[in-house]
Amino acid sequence: MITTQNLTKKYNNQTALDRLNLNVGKGEIYCLLGANGAGKTTTINLLLGFIEPTSGNALINGLNVLENSKETKKFLAYIPENLMLYPSLTAIENLDYFSGIAGKKLTKQHLISFLKEAGLQESAFEKRITAFSKGMRQKVGIAIALAKDAKVLLLDEPTSGLDPKASNEFGQLLQKLSQKGVATLMATHDLFRAKEVATQIGIMKNGQLKEEFIANDISLTDLEKTYLVTMNYKEVAL
Amino acid sequence: MTRKTFVKESKELFRDGRVRIAMFIVILLMGISIWISTQHYQNINKQYETAKTAERNVWDNQGEKNPHSAAHYGTYAFKPKYPLSLIDQGVDKYVGSSIFLEAHKRNEAQFSAAADQTGLARFGDLTPDFMLLFMIPLLIILLGYNSFTKEHEMGTLTLLKSQGFSAWRWVLGKWMALFIPILTLTTVLFIVAGLILSNLKDFGIFDWNSLIWMYLLYTAYYIIFVNLILFISAKTKKSGISLVVALSVWIVSCLAIPKAASNIAEDKYPYPTRQEFAANVLKDKKQGLDGHNPWSKEAKLLKEKVLAEHGVDSIHKLPFNFDAYRMQKGEEHEADIYFKHYNYLKDQFTKQTKVYKGLAVFSPYLPTRFMSMAIAHTDYATHWNFADAAENYRIATQKFLNDDFAKNSAYGNWGYKADASFWKKLPVFEYSPPELTAVLSQNTLNLAVLSTWLLGSFALLSFIKKI
Repeated sequence: MITTQNLTKKYNNQTALDRLNLNVGKGEIYCLLGANGAGKTTTINLLLGFIEPTSGNALINGLNVLENSKETKKFLAYIPENLMLYPSLTAIENLDYFSGIAGKKLTKQHLISFLKEAGLQESAFEKRITAFSKGMRQKVGIAIALAKDAKVLLLDEPTSGLDPKASNEFGQLLQKLSQKGVATLMATHDLFRAKEVATQIGIMKNGQLKEEFIANDISLTDLEKTYLVTMNYKEVAL
Repeated sequence: MTRKTFVKESKELFRDGRVRIAMFIVILLMGISIWISTQHYQNINKQYETAKTAERNVWDNQGEKNPHSAAHYGTYAFKPKYPLSLIDQGVDKYVGSSIFLEAHKRNEAQFSAAADQTGLARFGDLTPDFMLLFMIPLLIILLGYNSFTKEHEMGTLTLLKSQGFSAWRWVLGKWMALFIPILTLTTVLFIVAGLILSNLKDFGIFDWNSLIWMYLLYTAYYIIFVNLILFISAKTKKSGISLVVALSVWIVSCLAIPKAASNIAEDKYPYPTRQEFAANVLKDKKQGLDGHNPWSKEAKLLKEKVLAEHGVDSIHKLPFNFDAYRMQKGEEHEADIYFKHYNYLKDQFTKQTKVYKGLAVFSPYLPTRFMSMAIAHTDYATHWNFADAAENYRIATQKFLNDDFAKNSAYGNWGYKADASFWKKLPVFEYSPPELTAVLSQNTLNLAVLSTWLLGSFALLSFIKKI
């Protein structure tokens, strides 16, 4: 569902992403780990078609995102680190608008069911977003993805800043979506969450994919060590 | 999607306390301005009717009198107040409302409303046209300056883009959310004005077509502003910058260019001063026949010509009073001089108008203002039209009086007095301003410029698609 083929992005002479090859299948959750500037967000922006690659291809459901911008966006949902919604609208109104933008015609009952499925407490449905915590906003983001019936989920550090409970709830939601066949690519710093939810894990550095694992094949401790070694934090790793 | 965006934008707008307060203030001011204008309009109309009737009574009841004395006694031509002046008072306040009609002299209109006010009148009045031309564009700016910038600032744009939205439908939704409240406000204003006008007594002929044209004119003006403000909002990244740019456009369009146009027009095609004008008229008058002076060279030539035409050797033998005949000829000569000099003023006015129309390319305010005043019959062109009608009436009145004098008295009989019932035979001065079709045909250039602005502003919208 999510494929990159030698995907490269350069800004002047600076290489932000270097020949990245990824493949995330149906129901898989791929976590990209890496320090700031490793190329995680660049990868997601390239898959969203927000920026153009210098070379290589980004494919969603087999379609090149640049050549089929509208078509590929029908399949995907995106949740950034800070999901910003319209503060003067309620959760239902935000969901209604964003799903409407994506061409979905949903009844209020449908909207409520998506918010419930995303784990937002019912008392918040009719409340304006301005009073929402980050975790609550992320849940509305998940509801938007559910309402859109997205087959691909692109997440850019979605658990950053969330408290452990909210982060855990978010992880569970991802797994639920994964069971429904949604392919997820998540850029994150959170090793623990990555190990918890991912089916595959990649470690990036300087725009390159340095390591790649099947999540079940590696323990959290080994993942942490590998990560630190890859990042050249050898002393800490020892 | 367009409907969803429209609903979303409308909710955002009306949940914003600042917008609600601004809307309330504009509606309140609009209501006050209509109320003030209605009072003013009724008051002026009452004065007009009273003065017109009283003046005619004075004329009709002047008793037995020499017609030429009556000509010097004079009468007034009153300029009616037109129904749509309730919406646009134009230059009415400054050009005077009545013209004194007397023998030998064409007078300027006098008793302007502005002359009755203190210097504070320079600050302007709260009138519907002020609200329509200045305040509603400001409201458009307030409602729309952050229409697109807020999407950048709130960070919602990335999520929107990821949803695979149709840019033009999104823009259309935002356009509707900005335009429809303005359209509603304008529509209500015009309906209220129409109802008030059609229910006022003795206000003259109210034409719904003119009101509809005026409504369409202002609607076009607001569409231009809506398009410009949305374009600015889309092409700037920050709301603050968007607001400053939008306000700059408003200042340039509505304040700076009209004032600059006035200066440029006056500088390029100046009017003579009142003193120069009077001196030029007097100089020309002296070079022709003076009806009161039987010894001048021109009077002697006229006498010889008339005697020859009638085959007699003495003016006593003419079948009419030669004194009256000479005065009528003198009147005609003076009328020609006035037409010549006033035509020069009109030429200058036409040239100045061309300057305004040229500068309208830089400001949608100018063609809108001119069209609005023209439809309301409160523009300078209508005033000229009225002044010309009054002058024609003055000339006809002088002929009416001189003819009676000439026909019913003998040469040298200055003691002749017309019958007391004679004065009523003079037709009442009636003035009808140009019809709507004539007004529109006189303003085709303004219409064309405004249409160009309208189309151009829509063309700008097409550049919004890529944000």
